Amino acid sequence: MVWSESLHLVVLAPVVAGAVGFFLPKRAYHWLLFFVNVVVVTIAIMLFREVRWGAEVVQLMANWPQWIAIRLVADLYSAPLVALTAIFFAGTFLFSTKADYMDKTFLFLFVMLESAIIGMFLSGDLFNIYVLVELGMLIIAILIMYKQDKQSVYDAMLYLMINFIAMAFMLLGIGYLYRLTGVLDLAALAERLPLLENPRAVIVPYAMIMTAIAVKAALFPLFSWLPRAHGAPSAPAIVSAVLSGVQVKAGVYLLVRLTQVFGPVIDAAPFFMMLGFVTSVVGFLLAIAQKDIKLILAYHTVSQVGLIVMGLFLGSEVAFWGGMYHIINHALFKGLLFLTAGIIIEEYGSRSYAEIRGVLRRMPAIGIGTLAGVLGITGAPFFNGSISKYFIQQGLQGDFGGIAMFLINLGTTLSFVKYSVILFGKPSVDKPLKRDPFVAVVSLLFGLACLAGGLFGGPTVALVYGPQYSAGGALSAQKLITFALTLAVAVGAYFFIVKRIGTFLTSVRTFKFTFNQVTVFMTLFFVSLMGYVWFTVA
Amino acid sequence: MAFISNLQISDLAVLLFFIGLYGAMSQRNIIKTIMSVGIMDIGAITFFMMANFPANAKPPIVGTPVEQMADPIPQALMITAIVIGVSVIAMCLAMYMRVAYRYATADWHILTRRLEK
Repeated sequence: MVWSESLHLVVLAPVVAGAVGFFLPKRAYHWLLFFVNVVVVTIAIMLFREVRWGAEVVQLMANWPQWIAIRLVADLYSAPLVALTAIFFAGTFLFSTKADYMDKTFLFLFVMLESAIIGMFLSGDLFNIYVLVELGMLIIAILIMYKQDKQSVYDAMLYLMINFIAMAFMLLGIGYLYRLTGVLDLAALAERLPLLENPRAVIVPYAMIMTAIAVKAALFPLFSWLPRAHGAPSAPAIVSAVLSGVQVKAGVYLLVRLTQVFGPVIDAAPFFMMLGFVTSVVGFLLAIAQKDIKLILAYHTVSQVGLIVMGLFLGSEVAFWGGMYHIINHALFKGLLFLTAGIIIEEYGSRSYAEIRGVLRRMPAIGIGTLAGVLGITGAPFFNGSISKYFIQQGLQGDFGGIAMFLINLGTTLSFVKYSVILFGKPSVDKPLKRDPFVAVVSLLFGLACLAGGLFGGPTVALVYGPQYSAGGALSAQKLITFALTLAVAVGAYFFIVKRIGTFLTSVRTFKFTFNQVTVFMTLFFVSLMGYVWFTVA
Repeated sequence: MAFISNLQISDLAVLLFFIGLYGAMSQRNIIKTIMSVGIMDIGAITFFMMANFPANAKPPIVGTPVEQMADPIPQALMITAIVIGVSVIAMCLAMYMRVAYRYATADWHILTRRLEK
């Protein structure tokens, strides 16, 4: 197979299969899509092999000359994420073979989302990215209100409008860039931007595009759409899992990509680093206040994305690859937690953590999966979270860094002490409902992946991205003691503080920003980013 | 007054964008905010269309001499953007209808208060 002529097939395969097989009955259609996904996984892994040990794959669409054609690029940043997306979707299809909320339209939209995400990762053209992000946004809005119960239509409408404003910002920014440079290709932009006579002219389009990307990546203070979309009461478990596992990462990926494009002219790394830290802290503070288990997980996604962004913009190489590794890890454990949370909610008929007890006894496989996810996300030794957090921490210098990392870890552990309450205790009913065996299989496989990513952390980073770092320090005595200490403090804080300030937490939980306030935040973000860049760019 | 006569369509398009943004920040009526968002989108599209547009350029269709042609790329791209914009606005309005039936209000503030806890 010639890669440079067939990259678009990876993008098109899911959606074409979804369209062609639409006449099949539902069960057959579901299995067809699953097998197509297995094929896509195989191709994506082969592609990754080619990129990792061969060379970057570039395809110019429709044989137009370079810089005019829409370019598809698979490089070391995008190829692992494409493979991750394909594996993730294959897992969710297997997970939901018996789910009754899915009909054929839902399945079709779901594979279309997969194509949009893979396309976003692979495209090397700014306008193409814009179109695919808009496509993904429309599909997600439909998927989160699919069951149309409770306030899901409101959630979807808010999601759609906030993101549409962000995309209008992006379109205007792209227009500015096109006027300045006359190209839309990312590589061409990177080449032409430093040649501009007046580099300050790039400030406005930079701020506009980055505001849009910051909304997509859910950075502080623009994350208020994320918990609504990811933790929407009516969104099926697999939609939440995909949104938190893969779709948010597309925003982070674009942040990295575009920072590289603008890099020679504008460098706002300290701004994004601080923003990542603040996002992380605010995310776990809000997560602690939640009662609904899906919302705990959703706010936690905000927190972890903040950590990833912090790692990526620390300016240290170890922390950068730690952040890239955390993208994969977070997809694994957060996807796992959302999938199992969906099953738990279905089983207990409740979403409140106070009403769910004894998951480990009632559904051992799901319980073990959840436990593995919790251990992964809190950075317990031997699990994947510990490795990537260790790498990110290595990039932090001085006392502030140590304190910041300890604070984030403490917050994460604290909110998951609250979450894991549902695992223990005595269930009201011992007999679980009858379930598809694939549910347990997929949960355990994801859990195993979390464990494997921890046991072989250093080698995995070396295998996926290339740089060799020793992860041995993540298992040093000091680390183990720190983890035990964090856990003890978190358990103590949970029982002595969090449980006693219920009324305060209720007021935090029920507080909601209106659409107008969110728009004001977006404008403020745009203005402050522009101001920051204005004063730092020479 | 030279300032006003020097204004170009692309400057006005940016102005339109920010008028839309102001509307989205300030209007409590849901329909008006949807309209504001639409105005923002139109502003961005108009700006993009006017990018690299030489004075008196002709539409890039068969028969126009190449040197008089306007840059065809923005025009081709903006057709896509217009289609996307229309479909998103249509979907926002359809969703608003559902919300209005359920909560019987067209005001963001009242709506936020009436949501299920």
